[in-house]
Amino acid sequence: MDTPSLRNLTNLKYGVPAKEQNFILQQLGAPHVSSFNYMVNKGLNDAVSELFPVEFTIPSGERISLRIEDVSLNHPTVPLGVVGVKTQQIFPAECRQRNATYSGKLNGKVSWSVNDGPRLYINQDFGNIPIMVKSNRCHLNEMTPKQLVAHNEHEQEWGGYFIIKGHEKLIRMLLMTRRNYPVAIKRGGWKGRGELFSDIGVQIRCVNNSQTSVTNTLHFVTDGTVKLMFAHLKLLYYVPVMMILKATCDYTDQYIYKKLIEGFEDDSYYSDCIQNMMRNLHMEGLHSHADCKGYLGKMFRVKFIECPEWFTEVEVTDYVLKSCILIHLKSMKDKFNMLVFMIQKLFAYAQDNCKTEGADAVMVQELLLGGNLYLQVLKERLQTWLNYLRLNILKNAKSGVGFSGTEKDMARSIKFTGGIESIMEKFLATGSINSPSGLGLMQDSGLAIVAENINRMRYMSHFRAVHRGSFFQEMRTTEARQLLPDAWGFICPVHTPDGTPCGLLNHLTMNCIVTNMPDEDILKNIPSTLTELGMVPVKNSQVSTLRVKEYYVTQLDGKVIGYVHSDIANKLVNKLRCLKIKGEEVPNTLEIVLVPKKDVAGQYPGLFLFTGPARMMRPVYNLLYQEIEFVGTFEQIYLDICVTPQEIYKGVTTHMEVDKNSFLSNLSLLIPMPDCNQSPRNMYQCQMGKQTMGTPCLNWNSQAGSKLYRLQTPASPLFRPVHYDKIGLDEFPMGTNAIVAVISYTGYDMEDAMIINKSSYERGFCHGSIYKSELIELDDVNSYFCRDPSIPELADTLDADGFPYIGKLLSKGDPLYCYYSADGSKYEVRRFKDKENYYVNSVRKYSTFSARAKPTASITFRITRNPTVGDKFASRAGQKGICSQKWPSEDLPFTETGLVPDIVFNPHGFPSRMTIAMMIEIMAGKSAALHGLVHDASPFKFDEDNTAIDYFGRLLEAGGYNYYGTETMYSGIDGREMTVQIFFGIVHYQRLRHMVSDKWQVRSTGPTDILTRQPVGGRKRGGGVRFGEMERDSLISHGTSFLLQDRLLHCSDRTTALICTSCGTLLGPMIMVTQIADKPNMSETKEMCRLCGHGDNVVEIQIPYIFKYFVTQLASVNINIKISCNQT
Amino acid sequence: MSDPSTKDSATTKTPMVYICGECHSENEIRPRDPIRCRECGYRIMYKKRTKRLIVFDAR
Repeated sequence: MDTPSLRNLTNLKYGVPAKEQNFILQQLGAPHVSSFNYMVNKGLNDAVSELFPVEFTIPSGERISLRIEDVSLNHPTVPLGVVGVKTQQIFPAECRQRNATYSGKLNGKVSWSVNDGPRLYINQDFGNIPIMVKSNRCHLNEMTPKQLVAHNEHEQEWGGYFIIKGHEKLIRMLLMTRRNYPVAIKRGGWKGRGELFSDIGVQIRCVNNSQTSVTNTLHFVTDGTVKLMFAHLKLLYYVPVMMILKATCDYTDQYIYKKLIEGFEDDSYYSDCIQNMMRNLHMEGLHSHADCKGYLGKMFRVKFIECPEWFTEVEVTDYVLKSCILIHLKSMKDKFNMLVFMIQKLFAYAQDNCKTEGADAVMVQELLLGGNLYLQVLKERLQTWLNYLRLNILKNAKSGVGFSGTEKDMARSIKFTGGIESIMEKFLATGSINSPSGLGLMQDSGLAIVAENINRMRYMSHFRAVHRGSFFQEMRTTEARQLLPDAWGFICPVHTPDGTPCGLLNHLTMNCIVTNMPDEDILKNIPSTLTELGMVPVKNSQVSTLRVKEYYVTQLDGKVIGYVHSDIANKLVNKLRCLKIKGEEVPNTLEIVLVPKKDVAGQYPGLFLFTGPARMMRPVYNLLYQEIEFVGTFEQIYLDICVTPQEIYKGVTTHMEVDKNSFLSNLSLLIPMPDCNQSPRNMYQCQMGKQTMGTPCLNWNSQAGSKLYRLQTPASPLFRPVHYDKIGLDEFPMGTNAIVAVISYTGYDMEDAMIINKSSYERGFCHGSIYKSELIELDDVNSYFCRDPSIPELADTLDADGFPYIGKLLSKGDPLYCYYSADGSKYEVRRFKDKENYYVNSVRKYSTFSARAKPTASITFRITRNPTVGDKFASRAGQKGICSQKWPSEDLPFTETGLVPDIVFNPHGFPSRMTIAMMIEIMAGKSAALHGLVHDASPFKFDEDNTAIDYFGRLLEAGGYNYYGTETMYSGIDGREMTVQIFFGIVHYQRLRHMVSDKWQVRSTGPTDILTRQPVGGRKRGGGVRFGEMERDSLISHGTSFLLQDRLLHCSDRTTALICTSCGTLLGPMIMVTQIADKPNMSETKEMCRLCGHGDNVVEIQIPYIFKYFVTQLASVNINIKISCNQT
Repeated sequence: MSDPSTKDSATTKTPMVYICGECHSENEIRPRDPIRCRECGYRIMYKKRTKRLIVFDAR
């Protein structure tokens, strides 16, 4: 598919579901779905086995140990005991309509033992937890397009989101530091972490099998020592690294020293520092491995409360080392080796022998995927659950009930422990976590977003969006926002919003993939494969005879596995690439990074191999092996990749781009000829494309969620990139082909305003509608929907079931529904409140599985939204405009052939915006319509020698038009020929969802604030537009004091108050009421000043109420306001 | 008690036809009936479009 075509127009089978789903569209959901699948298949049980068993003593002196085992997640099904249901499965479409959560049961076993006796088991149902759509726990998994359509889904459904209370929720992909790679970072804030701390350090984010992550930092302290930072329950701890190093393995000081200075033998500062650190430890009296372990255990016992009290100090230390320090490495020897590497890197960095890597470069980043975050939250919840269970057991044991460790006792304790259902649902519903450990994240909210379906573009882009983290949004510095060269090919340079999230919310490129968990069997063999290729494997507990200086340290996923000699390193890497392309001995998502040794300081050298999940990779063409190879973000910076074959330098270039456009994202690939636009215009189009009214879905009748925007008369663009066809966007069209005349004609087209031809509008140009649903839940279980028989007028709008007739037009005040309220034992009528007129589109009634559920229903409305003055339109080149008039067709200019434009576009929109692509589109669209073609608008198709203007100009010429796309036009007013030639053609216009009907606001009088008596704000409440300080200033400067008084007094909080002119206070005067006779009306009022004791000078004045309030408030702090008065 | 089922049996007994969201069969549902398809037990029921004449002003 190299050129776009209009084949869908004539294809008789268009609309029939295909045999297979579109691969490109499936890639949108792939990272989310595969991470969730990994969790279900393996991660869940890895996580559960990593849970720290809860062990404690009950008052009777018995030691109880609790664990969770064998956890499994099930498909969403109808609960047991619901009778008469034909299909037991629950499908996503049902949950979306019923505002339910698409969730499956989490089952597991709780096991316990008393005094280390035999373990007993009890099956436990942890409740229903949300299931990702199209994961392997979803019924839609593996369905063909036809089956999907049969289940009310889209043919191309790609899943990857959760359905929480009817909303589609997506866990945002976050950019995180690359796992298991120590990064050299300079951070000013580190200086404040302790005395003598410097701003430099080496940080590693360790991630273990169950995707739990922990960050360790080696801080360089300016006295030449190194402190290791680790966190536990959000608290940071700093330990001298030598103590940790000695605690990991029982090595001699001699060996540790040799190992540390291996390769840096001639660096005297470094060896001095090492010796000094060792000496310090001995001065503290910590001489041996056992001493260090004992000391650490003693220090950390109080902070690690999860360790039972009978743990020895050594056991506590082991626990600390296992759960907080380099957790991706299981064996202590590996931890030792890695720490040694990190210390070496830190000193090289401190002495400026290697450069800062920084955490903001894409090369040291990977993603946090939905499934992985979900697993972490779930893991922590299960641990908390165990802790709750412990508390319940203790409570039972202390009370009369007792706890003897029988199954019955356990079942009783579990009964009150609750489930995790609501917590998991809340996590996805709000996107915030309440975690004791913080899960290694920088933020605790904004983790889940609604996958809004405004149109296809918006929906698609949610799935490829990566966020840097909301933490950076508040940061003043722009470092995290910068587009760095290493993002090339992974993160789209065009598709980022402007404003606050600019550069923080990015989108993955079209070709970028996110790696999955690799096959474990292959992983095991990588070290031996490398040894075969010439790597010297690392040997512990003996000083190697290698001259390490000539070698590259080799790491596999943050584990030092050996050394590769500098001479053979390049050869070895090449061979490894060959194996990688084959994908048999090593996974083809292996990232091979050889950071070369250089004479000048660069990145810290070594051979780093990464196999882990959640890394960004992209396909490039390997020139040596003539195959596609996936390269990672870190790998890419040490490769020489050319774009076209002409750019190849023999002996230097190793790879070539698959496609010229491979650095663009889904949305930027849909911009026509983005290479001809000024770059910000492309960014604007990426934003506006996402706000277009179009065709968000095809299953209108099974939508019940939020607002849906629909364009009634969409068309397929005549000038479009190939990508448009590749992702099948014809099924979800979102724009109209408009005849555009670039002319300044009426004067109503200044400042980006545009004029729409009234006759085109009447023929249906850009007509649209909004679908809105209202969920109704009755107040009581026994209430029911029914029309009140005692009010016969209700029959005009409501059916016998209490709902409006479908198709009925509702306006303000009409009855919306009627029900019998069991609570109040009477009929209630609810009326329609909105000012706009709605059509009733559908009425649905729901039931749930619970017998005590209140009756629910939803009414879907359709609101017609045909273009009006003030609605927003945009072409696909970031050229937006507001419709300023619907101009009668007969008054618009016409061409020689009698053609009248649909849209009049002001020529002043071009010079400063420089959207050449739109001008090309005018010509291309015109020639496409002329010849019955559709033109390719993909970028980089034309160049200076072969210009697009020439190509389309000649096509126009062939069709009998002017080469430049201009035409002679005649004034619609007087029919005279215009002297100027008008640029005239066809542009695909988008109607944006911002419409005046949603925004207009007007107020003369209305609701006021109770406290201040000033008008309230907000369109919804009928409030006013703020007339602020700057507006006030402008009225003052105009000298329009009566207008000022009208705005700020009469239309606001004007009030009359009594003032005593003799004492000048508002507080003194009061109205005395004297009763003349014992009748209510027979009383006399008299104004009095309490301060003066008489009412001679009390007069009535007009003041803003807020002033009275202010005076009263000041009185409360013993301040009196005196107002000097002049009698008028 | 003012239970309407005794008083106004005429309206409460009027069944309305609803369409099942799963098997598309037509179900007659009275106001107090549970919302469940008699054929397949599905839980979402659509109201049928009215046969009444609905006239809008042509403007």
